[in-house]
Amino acid sequence: MDNVLLKTINTTKEFGQEIKSPVLFGINLEIQAGEFVSMIGSSGSGKSTLLNILGALDRPTTGEVIIDGTNLGHLSDDQLAYFRNRTIGFIFQSHFLLPQFTVLENVLIPYLIYAGKAPTEIKARALDLLDRVGLIHRKDNRANAISGGEQQRVAIARSLINHPRIILADEPTGNLDSKNTQKVFEMLKSINRDYQTTFIMVTHDHALAASCDRLLKLKDGLIIEDLDLLKQPLPKEEDRCAPSILE
Amino acid sequence: MKNSLAFEFSLARRFLEENKLQTLLIVLGIAIGVAVMVFLTALIDGLQADLIQKTVGKAPHIVVTSAEAGSQEAVKSVDGHKVLMIDTTQKDQRPIGEYHTLVNAIWADQRIRAVLPVVDGSGLIRRGQVTRGVLLRGFDLDQADRIYDISNSVIEGNRKPINNSVLIGKDLAVDLGVSAGDPILLELPGQDPLALMVDGIFDLGVSAINQRWLVMDQRQAAALLGIGDQVTSLELQVQDVFLSEQIARAWSSKLPNYQLESWQETNAQLLTALKSQSSSSYTIQFFVLLAVILGVASVLAINAVQKSKQIGILKAMGIRTNSVARAFMIQGVVLGLMGSISGFGLGIFLTKIFILLAGQQLTLLLKPLSVVVILGSTMLSATLSAYLPARRVSQLNPIEVIRNG
Ligand SMILES: Nc1ncnc2c1ncn2[C@@H]1O[C@H](COP(=O)(O)OP(=O)(O)OP(=O)(O)O)[C@@H](O)[C@H]1O
Ligand SMILES: [Mg+2]
Repeated sequence: MDNVLLKTINTTKEFGQEIKSPVLFGINLEIQAGEFVSMIGSSGSGKSTLLNILGALDRPTTGEVIIDGTNLGHLSDDQLAYFRNRTIGFIFQSHFLLPQFTVLENVLIPYLIYAGKAPTEIKARALDLLDRVGLIHRKDNRANAISGGEQQRVAIARSLINHPRIILADEPTGNLDSKNTQKVFEMLKSINRDYQTTFIMVTHDHALAASCDRLLKLKDGLIIEDLDLLKQPLPKEEDRCAPSILE
Repeated sequence: MKNSLAFEFSLARRFLEENKLQTLLIVLGIAIGVAVMVFLTALIDGLQADLIQKTVGKAPHIVVTSAEAGSQEAVKSVDGHKVLMIDTTQKDQRPIGEYHTLVNAIWADQRIRAVLPVVDGSGLIRRGQVTRGVLLRGFDLDQADRIYDISNSVIEGNRKPINNSVLIGKDLAVDLGVSAGDPILLELPGQDPLALMVDGIFDLGVSAINQRWLVMDQRQAAALLGIGDQVTSLELQVQDVFLSEQIARAWSSKLPNYQLESWQETNAQLLTALKSQSSSSYTIQFFVLLAVILGVASVLAINAVQKSKQIGILKAMGIRTNSVARAFMIQGVVLGLMGSISGFGLGIFLTKIFILLAGQQLTLLLKPLSVVVILGSTMLSATLSAYLPARRVSQLNPIEVIRNG
């Protein structure tokens, strides 16, 4: 059971040079390989800041982040970039597809950044992933010629192309309607199930958060709740816990 | 693990392709700039080559005289152009005695294409009421043709004077009212007038020569001037006119008893004029390049802003800073390449049209070096101007982009 993929030790973050504004206060976190973790908390509580640090996009002010045995503090910027490319997948609220490329090419981009050319087996994988998110018929469309929900699904396929150990999703359904939200969330769950990919997903959607393996709640830069929902599922409706945990 | 250059190229290509109109406009802008540079350079270089050819084509490039001989003025008196402004008498010039050895030595120099021993003197010609001062020039006609091409410039009479006959310039002939076959009287200082026959009349295309030259055989001139088997100067032409100053200097040090003067020294004013003409063309080129730099820099700066979201996500996905910078530098190089190649074609086209319209008096000259300089400087400008926007966009922090959606 103890298979820690991601670990933080007293991680803090403050912004600003002269006027320091602390955002994270001593985060200590261990995430197991294959876990599907949701992160909630009110706006400004530091969710995105923490996620960016876990994703090696930002460096903590103090403390350490260790992912898959690698202490991120020991890596140079270029090494961090390569680490992100190999180990981490990102899904953001906006899809950030490259409109100059086709849907299939967008899925391949994280691979192409370092390899330049995709061999047939990688192309086949990209097509598999597109099939998985139900967009195989759109593969040759320009990335900006498909709907917003479809674009977000392409972004999901893209995040998976390099077999990342962990996927960080910052409000991945934030821009989607409830039907698409459900669809995208089901996809993430099935990926988590099939590939044992670890997920950390920030969301404001309480129902989604409640359907994850584990729930973290942030408040003013601290983790104030850490619930194992597999052992102790939240009652789905009208529960006593939910109002306090989910605001 | 290294970044893929192939990916950087495809990124650059897609970015340029996305704004086809913008790309086309900036390429067109560079092309016009390059075309202007090509055209101007061809025009100015052509004019200058023409002018230099006119000045030194049928004139000695280097004149060798005895060092001890008279004043500067006396030395200058042997030069084809300036001679006529300075009236010097034969006495001022010390003849060169052992000129055969000197000629052989100079001939051995591969850079020299003609050596002409010359006997010069001045005298007066009378015919009826008319008196004209002339420059007596004695040289071997065959050898003189290598410099002056007199044989092919004879417009009346014989090409070669036989004994006691001479060739004169066409303006002198008109002044004196003589034609081929007429006699003239030559007076040399301290000698009795001598009757000579005008055997032919030439036109060397330079009025100073056509007015003053009296050409005869070298030995005859030497005899008339009483200098025996000696000459007053050697006139040289070199293979590359622009090296004559350097060659003259090299020979000067080997021949301490002689004085060598190159055409550059005699035509210093002309050269100054040509230089200032060239520098005005450099000024134009500088501003054209400045326009290229500003054009490419602004297009790439706009491009960088437009693409900041995509750059942000690429960086999140692990592209390295240098890789992004290179993708933008490549855009600059490609713009420069397309612009300078099409501009070069356009420039050639313009010059061809210009020749057609202007008639054949104009020669246009495009030296390979000028082409290399124009294309090279354009490419360099485009690349350098891409550098700043490339650097800026590559430093972009992905978090900023992601946070601002
Ligand atoms: N680059 C920055 N410079 C200064 N302050 C920042 C910066 N990034 C974030 N902050 C501040 O840190 C705090 C936490 O921001 P963060 O984006 O992590 O919140 P969040 O929990 O993701 O909120 P939301 O739910 O609205 O996305 C906010 O007060 C924010 O203003
Ligand atoms: Mg956030």
